[in-house]
Amino acid sequence: MKRLMPAPSARRTIVLAAAIALAAVGCSSSSSTSTPAATSTTSATPATSATPGTAAVSTSQCGTKPGVAATGTPIALGGIVTNQPGTSFTDIANMANAYFACVNANGGINGHPIKYYIETEQTNPAQIAADAKQLVQTDHVLGIIGNTSIIECSVDSSYWQKLGYYIIDSGIAPECYSTSNSAAVNMGPRYSSDGAVQYALAQHASKIVFDQSNVPGTGYIAAGPAALAKAANVPIVQLTENVPISDADSVAIKEVDDAGPNGAVVLNFTPPEALVILQAAQKLGLEDRVKLWGCSTPCNTDFLATSLGPKWNSKLFVNAELTPPDVTNTAAMNLYKAILKQYGSAVSGGIGSFSQMGFTEAEIAVHALETITASSYTVANVNAAFKAVSAFNTGMLCQLWTYGAYPTHIPNNMDYTVTPDNGKMVTAQGCTQISSVDPQIAQYRSVAGTAQIAP
Amino acid sequence: MRATLERASPVRAGRSLSRPQLIKAAITAALLLFVLLGLPQLMSLYYIDTMTQVAVYSMVAVGLGVLVGRVGLVSLGQVAVLAIGAWVAARLLFATTQPYPLVLLEAGLITMVLGVVIGLPALRLRGLYLALITLMLAGAITVVLATVNFPNGGHGFLGYNGSLVHIPPIRRPSIAASDPAYFRYSVVVAIVMFALVLAHIKTRPGRAWAAIRQSEPAALAAGINTWFYKLWAFALASFITGVAGGVLAGAVHYLYSIDFPTQDSITLLAVVLMGGVYSLWGAVVAALLYQFLPALLNNWGVSADWLIILFGVGVLQVLTTAPAGLADQVPRDLARLGRFLRRQATRQPAATQGSTK
Amino acid sequence: MPSWQDFQPFIVSGLALGGVYALSGVGLVVLYRATGVLNLAFGALGAMGALITWSLIKAGVPGWLSWLACVVFAAAVTLGYGIVFGPALARRDPLVKAVATIGLTLILYGLADLLWTTSGGQARSITFPTDNSGFMVGQVQVNWTQVIALAAGVVITVATGAFLRYTKLGTAMRAMANDRDITATLGVPVRKVEAAAWLGCGVLAGLAGLLLADLVALDATTLTFLVISSLAAVLIARLRSITVTFIAAIVIGLLHDLLTPVNSLTNYRDMTPFVIAAVALLVLSRHQVMSQSREEA
Repeated sequence: MKRLMPAPSARRTIVLAAAIALAAVGCSSSSSTSTPAATSTTSATPATSATPGTAAVSTSQCGTKPGVAATGTPIALGGIVTNQPGTSFTDIANMANAYFACVNANGGINGHPIKYYIETEQTNPAQIAADAKQLVQTDHVLGIIGNTSIIECSVDSSYWQKLGYYIIDSGIAPECYSTSNSAAVNMGPRYSSDGAVQYALAQHASKIVFDQSNVPGTGYIAAGPAALAKAANVPIVQLTENVPISDADSVAIKEVDDAGPNGAVVLNFTPPEALVILQAAQKLGLEDRVKLWGCSTPCNTDFLATSLGPKWNSKLFVNAELTPPDVTNTAAMNLYKAILKQYGSAVSGGIGSFSQMGFTEAEIAVHALETITASSYTVANVNAAFKAVSAFNTGMLCQLWTYGAYPTHIPNNMDYTVTPDNGKMVTAQGCTQISSVDPQIAQYRSVAGTAQIAP
Repeated sequence: MRATLERASPVRAGRSLSRPQLIKAAITAALLLFVLLGLPQLMSLYYIDTMTQVAVYSMVAVGLGVLVGRVGLVSLGQVAVLAIGAWVAARLLFATTQPYPLVLLEAGLITMVLGVVIGLPALRLRGLYLALITLMLAGAITVVLATVNFPNGGHGFLGYNGSLVHIPPIRRPSIAASDPAYFRYSVVVAIVMFALVLAHIKTRPGRAWAAIRQSEPAALAAGINTWFYKLWAFALASFITGVAGGVLAGAVHYLYSIDFPTQDSITLLAVVLMGGVYSLWGAVVAALLYQFLPALLNNWGVSADWLIILFGVGVLQVLTTAPAGLADQVPRDLARLGRFLRRQATRQPAATQGSTK
Repeated sequence: MPSWQDFQPFIVSGLALGGVYALSGVGLVVLYRATGVLNLAFGALGAMGALITWSLIKAGVPGWLSWLACVVFAAAVTLGYGIVFGPALARRDPLVKAVATIGLTLILYGLADLLWTTSGGQARSITFPTDNSGFMVGQVQVNWTQVIALAAGVVITVATGAFLRYTKLGTAMRAMANDRDITATLGVPVRKVEAAAWLGCGVLAGLAGLLLADLVALDATTLTFLVISSLAAVLIARLRSITVTFIAAIVIGLLHDLLTPVNSLTNYRDMTPFVIAAVALLVLSRHQVMSQSREEA
């Protein structure tokens, strides 16, 4: 290979200068937060977020001493969320942070502010394990809340068990629901898919096609719908798709073909992928070719409803793990919206299930911390308090939420079903229990019982 | 013919090392001792875990560096090879109770055989075509892995059980179960791999590769079996990357196919070019760029996208102005700075002398 | 084994997918024929252009102006790259020139992900007026956008083929790709011709980016690395024939979708481009084995 003569120094200077400039800017910038202009529209414009008859809610209700800033020694909490191209759960952690900011401005926890450390990861097990150690060893966090990650529960669950941390998270991986040290505020992909399949079966679909993204845990997730279909004597076809999907047309055609005119297609994908499949079905003219379409919770955003358009009204039924914000006028929901407005500038998705989850987890954590009477906060008493949360009314869920000393945790096992209606998601069915036909649900209910419905 | 090759080499067995080489060796030894013994005490577990990844990827980078720098073959599929090595190691670790070094060796050998089998027909192609076909093969392997998944303690050939609610972790060697201990273990394995590469470079394969890189037709004319030596380079790179995969399996405890996307091979090539393909230190620099910098930025809350941009700029810079990469350029720049400073120091007394005259 | 009826709708979707691959593939080969550079940043250019279009449309800029912005952006960046780095790398191996475009790819991809961040539950999309009107073929509806994409592929193939062969500028481009120095001695204004080639490639990248953003997804990762699958068609044509690239792309798209109803292979159908390319390359090069020379003992 002939060596090239050194290029003119001008070129080298330009490239080096560019590199240095980028490095300098990079070092000085903070973590990536989206600029308002670059992100897509939030799911709620001012008109839709204000529910009729909402009284102006003061955010000071979040704390015990309104208006008094907390100045004691901080209570350190931590959270690990996925943030990579195509999948970002930072909204959940940022909303929890917003709640903590509100609490800190209104008395803190007995005068102590909460300091929340957020670690982001890109679905890399080594990085996730390292993040956990960073939180525990360097940041000295006393409790872990807000974890939302495709694999974090799998990677870290034995570490948390060893150290005695009882986590409050928004689970995705199987271990978030099947271990003693993790209790989720959401249902996760398996039980949320159960909910969607359950609704389709209730509408007398003669066949179920369950299609999900090929990320870790597909077998675990598929087992739920399989059990439900089997109990109802309905055939079920299990499909997986590699994401990101580059050929949505063939996916849509296959799903419709397999389901048949009286069948139901139930999807378990992140919103962008689900949108691509549903839009492809519409472009191909296939949306009416099956009895109904179903989707697990990620589809539950007004943004999806707007993008899909009116053809999907009462055609797509989405499982909603949390109380629909647009039609609820409770104190907790109004507090959520107020905190989001005042402290939630870093929550790019606005009103929606992600920020709702973050709010709920922070709410539970604060409630637990306020019960601690000891003079100093330690890992032991903070996690004992988390574990002791029992029959708590979050205002965001169908049921009262309990952590409990159980070997598995599925505290949120009752859901709504929503459907798009001219650009917004509206309730199609109120709180319905996830069926005990799913063996994991049956196992949990045998130790924890059935939780009370929230008033 | 062989005599020609031997005369061309400056280092022959039995000849003692010159003074600069001794100093270089001493510095290297001191640095390695510090890394093995000192670093684990100084760094938090977060960074120790990160440095274990650096050790793993330095092995992958040295394999790619041998291919690109020594032989002139660009492979855009090394991450897929790493995935294969990790897969084999995980399967063996779950299915057998063999000692860890044996598993690493087996992973390396099986990956080497696969690399040779796949590389054999591909070696008919050269330059851009070879690079692109490695990319195609990597893409195919990635899709297969996405469906077949990594072993997670299940039964059967594939060892994958999709319905597990508790996935067992991949085991580590009993002497290196803790994170700092495993870090040292992975550094030792990396040192062995680097020594293997060094042994190759200093002996006949290295000379043959140098001749092939210079000009393949000329090497052929000189009687070198270019096809055989190119295959050897592929085999060596595959072996080392396979062993690295084994170390990776123990480091992360859990393997997922989404962690080995095809485009990572492209980023890997970028950092290897930036680090420098002509020196072994370049592989270490490449691994630091690839694993340590992102961990650092993640800790500071800076988006990893800045690094991607930096890698892009780095590739352009290396290819247009500094073909030997950072590992070569930084010492040269430092040496140039040193000369500049020395010149300034010697000029000052002359100036003062001049003024007093 | 699925019946003919089952395969029918996949033929239609397969042709549409083939059109998608053809757009990128033809664009890649055209630039290679004109400058000797395999521009791996083709996808990234289109991706960032499409994201700019999306932002402009959201800001209220009229549709056609936003689409034009995509093409202008891609053309400008490609031209800039060609002017700054083209001459520096002109005498290097095609491999080095291709690897250099990897640098551009990473820069654009990093910027695109930085400026248009992934946020929670949102998804971006671009739609064209032609998306919702079409005609029925068998049981499925073909929309006009897909027809446009396929037609664009055909038009580009034919037009650039003719351009490169029959026009003075085209011939100059081919000569330059072959040997830059000799072409320069013949009095061809190499810098201008090179600039024209890069500009043309940029325009193609912008157009392809728009169409792909509509047909596939508006997502930086998907669009940037879609070029890897398109490379299969490019490799089958051995980077030489634009027509063969087009046909190969269609065939790959068809085969990919026709595998969908075959249950045993459906999970592996994303391998189609890679397997076909690898097999084709190895078959096509089987007569080019270098004669071995054994080392004397």
